[in-house]
Amino acid sequence: MAKDTNGYNIIGKPMAMTDARAKVTGLGKYADDLSVPGMLIGKILHSPHAHARIRSIDTSQAEALAGVKVTATGEDARNPYGILPIGHDERAFALGKALYIGDNIAAVAATTPEVAERALDLIRVDYEQLPGWFDPEESMKASSNWINEERPQNIEKEYHHVFGDPEKGFGEADFIAEERYYAGEVNQAAMEPHATLAVWEPDNRLTVHSSTQVPFYLHRTIAAVCEMPMSQIRVIKPLIGGGFGGKSEIIPLEVAACVLAKKARKPVKITYTREEVFLAHRGRPITIVYLKVGLSRAGKITAVQARVIQDGGAYCGYGPVTVLYSGALLGAIYDIANVQYDGFRVLTNKPACGAMRGHGTVNVRFAFESILDQLSHQAGLDPLEVRRRNLLKAPCITANSLRVTSYGLPECIEKVFERSGWAEKKGNLPYGKGVGMACSHYVSGAANPIIRSNMPHTTVHIKIDRDAAVTVYTGASEIGQGSDTMQVQIAAEILGVSTDRIKLVAADTELTPIDLGSYSSRVTFMAGNACLNAAKDMRDQIVAAVARKFGCAADDFEVKDGRISHKSDAGKSLSFDEAVTVALEFHGALVARGTYAPPETARGGKFKGAGVGPSPAYSYSAQVAEVTVDPETGQVRVDKIVAAHDCGKALNPLTVEGQIEGSVYMGFGQALQEDMIWKDGRLMNPSLLEYRIPATKENPEIESIIVESIDPEGPFGAKEAGEGSLAATIPAIANAIFDAVGVRINSTPITPDKILDALREKQKLASGNGANAANKPVAAGGRL
Amino acid sequence: MDAFEYAKPSSLKEALGLLGSDWDDASVFAGGTDLISLLKDDVVDTKRLVNIKGIAGLNRVHESAEGVHIGAAVTVEELFSNRMIREQFPAIIDAAEGIRSPQLHNMSTVGGWLCQRPRCWYYRNGFGLLALDKDGQSLVTQGDNRYHAIFGNSGPAKFISPSSFGPVLIALGGEMRIEGPKGARDVAAADFFVIPQKQGEREHALAPNEIVTEITIPAASRGMRNALYEVRPKEGLDWPLTTAAVALRMRGDTVERARIVLGHVAPKPWPAEDAAKWLVGKTINEENAAKAGDAAVQGATPLSRNGYKVQLARVSVKRALLAAVGERRV
Amino acid sequence: MNKELTHLRVNGEEREIAITPNRLLLDALREDLGLTGSKRGCDDSSCGCCAVLIDGTPMLSCVALAASYEGREITTVEGLGGPGELDPVQEGYAEMGGAQCGYCTPGFMIATKALLDRNPDPTMDEIREALSGNLCRCTGYMQIYESVKYAIEKLRAKSATQAPATR
Repeated sequence: MAKDTNGYNIIGKPMAMTDARAKVTGLGKYADDLSVPGMLIGKILHSPHAHARIRSIDTSQAEALAGVKVTATGEDARNPYGILPIGHDERAFALGKALYIGDNIAAVAATTPEVAERALDLIRVDYEQLPGWFDPEESMKASSNWINEERPQNIEKEYHHVFGDPEKGFGEADFIAEERYYAGEVNQAAMEPHATLAVWEPDNRLTVHSSTQVPFYLHRTIAAVCEMPMSQIRVIKPLIGGGFGGKSEIIPLEVAACVLAKKARKPVKITYTREEVFLAHRGRPITIVYLKVGLSRAGKITAVQARVIQDGGAYCGYGPVTVLYSGALLGAIYDIANVQYDGFRVLTNKPACGAMRGHGTVNVRFAFESILDQLSHQAGLDPLEVRRRNLLKAPCITANSLRVTSYGLPECIEKVFERSGWAEKKGNLPYGKGVGMACSHYVSGAANPIIRSNMPHTTVHIKIDRDAAVTVYTGASEIGQGSDTMQVQIAAEILGVSTDRIKLVAADTELTPIDLGSYSSRVTFMAGNACLNAAKDMRDQIVAAVARKFGCAADDFEVKDGRISHKSDAGKSLSFDEAVTVALEFHGALVARGTYAPPETARGGKFKGAGVGPSPAYSYSAQVAEVTVDPETGQVRVDKIVAAHDCGKALNPLTVEGQIEGSVYMGFGQALQEDMIWKDGRLMNPSLLEYRIPATKENPEIESIIVESIDPEGPFGAKEAGEGSLAATIPAIANAIFDAVGVRINSTPITPDKILDALREKQKLASGNGANAANKPVAAGGRL
Repeated sequence: MDAFEYAKPSSLKEALGLLGSDWDDASVFAGGTDLISLLKDDVVDTKRLVNIKGIAGLNRVHESAEGVHIGAAVTVEELFSNRMIREQFPAIIDAAEGIRSPQLHNMSTVGGWLCQRPRCWYYRNGFGLLALDKDGQSLVTQGDNRYHAIFGNSGPAKFISPSSFGPVLIALGGEMRIEGPKGARDVAAADFFVIPQKQGEREHALAPNEIVTEITIPAASRGMRNALYEVRPKEGLDWPLTTAAVALRMRGDTVERARIVLGHVAPKPWPAEDAAKWLVGKTINEENAAKAGDAAVQGATPLSRNGYKVQLARVSVKRALLAAVGERRV
Repeated sequence: MNKELTHLRVNGEEREIAITPNRLLLDALREDLGLTGSKRGCDDSSCGCCAVLIDGTPMLSCVALAASYEGREITTVEGLGGPGELDPVQEGYAEMGGAQCGYCTPGFMIATKALLDRNPDPTMDEIREALSGNLCRCTGYMQIYESVKYAIEKLRAKSATQAPATR
């Protein structure tokens, strides 16, 4: 655990999560645990076709079934929505066309799930099937039969950026590598399937309990879809069983439940099956990366050219942001002057992709760190040393206008170098065993909000009354990452009280101020700063009253250990309870507020697409993976991953380590075994038996190392910890496989068939050249 | 899940009386781990579940002069922790170890382990066991067949038999006791698994009104060196990509008699008789084991995307042979 | 279909519910008995979120019929610990980061409880094995192992103070 050296009482010390007891007793409520009297169960009818015109829908038989209270179709809610203002292309239910297998066609609300299921079977839909688009590189050539007539060639969005002089940069390169990388599609697969309970209130208001990372956007969207003022809608986020981005935009069941509830004037709950979770998707898209990188003999990256094609599925979702992150985050990690980026977000007849953990950066980082490893070997340089030679000199502004304020990457690299035994192991392990390294980084929130405005990104209120309890009202969404605990810690630290005294009310639009949501790793930095500001406001109000009572200046007092005390006169000291009484007598009410908006200097450049990528601060990671490859079967075991992460300041080392380890685990899953397998738009493996998220049996040992660069603007110096580590894991494993058996696998997941194919190819080449097949002595170590 | 009746008979006779002449009439239910999933997904329909766990005698493991008898309602965990089985039939332990979930060990029964339905994703997604399109063409052949059969796939069935226990039983010369309205019959494990040739046929020799009640491993198989090797897509709960079960009668270092049965490569467990014959008179070493592996995959007919399984099957055989003669902890 | 009166013994109490034969044990617990601590995660026996103890043995309530567990002793997460007091296993998961989002936690605790009840001093491999039927999407399992180790220590300390004579 990182030691605190700044004299904090609470910050920097491991703390159990404030909601841990609710979770371990089973008493905490997730959305599907909620029920209210008279509640109906909603079920959604999904399209069996990938691309089809809807000629007609007949719900009359379903409505006639005893127990069915209401049905809904596209005609019941015509207003489009979408998470991005430029992408309002979804509706509660399809209007005109169904765009993927699983698209939402209609819904029923009935007294029991069984009746609702039966009713779905009674809905008659007349479809006219259309040819589907399933391969993104084919889809973007389409001259007709477009998925969305407003998106010619099925291209949702494309961006073309040039920074510096790539041509000149490649001219200066001594080594140039060009590769095609392919990353398979992955899903968040949070353990909690989505659920929404929409309660129509007697006064014609709507209260919505939903498994969401973004209550505020959900609030806006329900208002638009249900044609109700936001003031008549209340959104409450219960406990959330994991998000990872899968609940960070509006999910079809959320609007479906609201439409049904409004129509039935009754409470309606919809809970997804696991299969429906996969059909609602919003995971990381299939990404094809054509990457060209130049390296000088001295190990300096001279130029980068990336062409990225993302298979976005049938709707926009976060798509343009994803593809912009893929380009923007080529910057802000290494010192690269010359970059050309061409990014395409393509529509296909599949569920929409979204903002999965490490949004936009993961697949491109896999490509980049793999090619850097390859170039290092071409140049005869240690790949870790090559990273050292391309570091930024922070603070700085990158070629693509990203502002880097704190930069712990050098320390991360040195930490994993030491702890992994890199110097001894790299290139020295027997055939079948290998080590690989890679780096990654991520934003601590987006400097520019999704919906442009000059309002703060987040606001926190604090109230204290006669019981001297401190109540923090925050819009920030705890989804298991520890954001509630983080804010309790900050408030307690600033107010000099124990965390027991703090009560936190979160993510209820009727009670709490706005926070934009738990996505893009923004919460610690933004809600943390807002909470810090609110707590300071409260502290200053209390101190002002106490100082006045003693006839001293406020600066003379310190707040610590539950007391407000004069720094040099021990006689002038009040307990927190006494101080609160004094403060209430003076101020009348004790209400404090804090906000956060990123500074102007953090908001990036002015070119088209410059809005995505800028962040008030970036986290950094370096990892070394150690693997064993079975050359006979192509199976890979990851023996250990050493992961160092620069989170600025670990406010709660327990949860920071949990975030690093969770990120590495998810990267491991994508690297070796997670894959949404599509055939003509049909997901072949929509279950957790076949979509292989890692279990204890194969998950590697993870050693997490916290690096603290103390960001000048982060709360107590903190930056993000929840996403940045994921992207390094995949290339670290791929590079370790190369070290183990001498083949590079440029597509994920790296499954036995791919390794066997590559080994066979290598052997063919080698025997053709009359050289040895393996570049290392064969030892018996390979077998798993 | 659609409605069904539930019956918990206390005698076999009563249980048989509750089954029907059609598969949809009734389903035999014990651990339920596979059946309930199938019912939830509407892949299987049934009017009645007949829980056989209350029938006396179906849930014990015992020895007799004929061999070792395992009741169909014995749980995988009970089998797994049975000392006699561990000592004599490590291949069974290997197979049980492949079910990487203590919860499933506790619930699943031996009968269900053998009669579980295939994992073919066309079947599980509602396209039928043979996964034929409306023109009678195989969806598997045209589609994604990376996990499908590399042997025995010339007919309409392209799925793979899902149980690791099946190949083990065949290697050990086991047989099943099947009870039906006309009494009991014993079926060799090798004949129990069949490849369906047309729609409506099942992947085993049971009739809808029959129950597997007991598995017997003959006394003659005692003392055979045996093992199972699985190549897995992941170490956690999953079905293997390929398996091989072997049983060897050794005289000193020499193979006197061998049985090699591949699993997860065909719509039924797939005996590799030529490889087994070739081994007779040989010693088991790395080289001979590898050659037996080569022989075992002769004649494989991989589909468009599953050629890699040939290599995995080859390795499975080699490693199963080496494991069978190697030291192991009980 | 007709409902039948079914008797379940849950967390030490006899409960009587009217359910159809196709009622899953998980649904009976959550819907009929209001014990929502057991979770539904996968629908197909792969995730372990729904695990409960049946006569002390962990099983999956999402692929179990309530009717077939009549007369058995069923323990859910709500049955761990005492009033206002956490079981050492619960304490471990709360204190050591074993519960992030908490959704898989009841199932993990049930599997852990079953392990430690029969093997109070498991090796790392035995822990991994005992938890192999449960999936967690948050932790990467490392802090779950720490949570289990915390519980082991706590139980060891407890048994040392409770039964000094046996030492």
